[in-house]
Amino acid sequence: MGTVVTIRQAVMAEDEKYAARVREMLTKRKILAVNIIGSPGCGKTTLLERTAACLGRGGSKKFSFRVIEGDIETARDAERLAAAGVEALQINTKGACHLEAHVIENALKSLDCNGLDVLFIENVGNLVCPAEFDLGEDFKVAVSSVPEGADKPLKYPMLFSQAAAVLLTKVDLLPYVRFDKDLFLRDIRALNPKALIMELDLISDAGLESWLAFIAGRLEEKHHVAQ
Amino acid sequence: MHELSLAEAVNNTIKELGRRSAWSRVRRVILKVGRLRQVDPELLSFAFGVVGKGTVTEGSELSVLELPVVFHCRACGCETTGDVTAFACVNCGSADVELLSGMELTIESMEVEDC
Repeated sequence: MGTVVTIRQAVMAEDEKYAARVREMLTKRKILAVNIIGSPGCGKTTLLERTAACLGRGGSKKFSFRVIEGDIETARDAERLAAAGVEALQINTKGACHLEAHVIENALKSLDCNGLDVLFIENVGNLVCPAEFDLGEDFKVAVSSVPEGADKPLKYPMLFSQAAAVLLTKVDLLPYVRFDKDLFLRDIRALNPKALIMELDLISDAGLESWLAFIAGRLEEKHHVAQ
Repeated sequence: MHELSLAEAVNNTIKELGRRSAWSRVRRVILKVGRLRQVDPELLSFAFGVVGKGTVTEGSELSVLELPVVFHCRACGCETTGDVTAFACVNCGSADVELLSGMELTIESMEVEDC
């Protein structure tokens, strides 16, 4: 005969330990960590390429950043970023649909953190699973592109309800595809009233200044808290 | 397919518990899962069977208790049992709400065989 034992233990406790360690390590070094989540092809890598280009041009907002790239296969994203002058560490998950904190902890051992302000973690292209796993980041950013359609926030509520910012990319395509922007904005507001919503066109870099200002602002807040 | 990772996490937690306990085999695991976790109970049970092969949970059954999304309104004090697509108070419409339930992922209890 079996015995019933009460357990009441969180399943992700182990994972959360790794995430807490990553968070502590990054906070000690005053590095802002941003977990970027969006579909394949929504413009996550392009966002980072354009971020590098805009910071390189000078202007009021300045910060240094490096990237941890999560993909199932290939080093193509890290190569793209290297070509844009960004130091990027590619992780191939070999089938796994998301990054996990223990992978980030390992990656940080081989990433040069000296003089680093911001660590962008580009998660595996996927709106479901990456939202589930705490990587030790300061906050998540959801990226959604116009051609994906306006119905994504309600279809993937966990990501959109957790994200500190939602980036709507490829807004240059608005005249050519059907996209109900009012619905998109309304649904995000219902899920996550505090989320900052930014519209980006990464061909002309329209909107990129507000993204840089957002990151620079959060970096400043983090320095403030860490002091 | 995050269910596979979650099943591994459940199994690892049980293995860890097993090191400190006097039971030899697990028959049944009751898992509480909040609706916001986006977990498919059937997929999770299947994945649990796969990752459990050759471990203390081999052959055991995973039962998933789904918990609703419940939030408390800071503006009027009402509790809303909502769905996962809107986080606003049904009484006053305020979005200033605090989540009470919906993010659970907890091993509630287990039926085990003693050594």
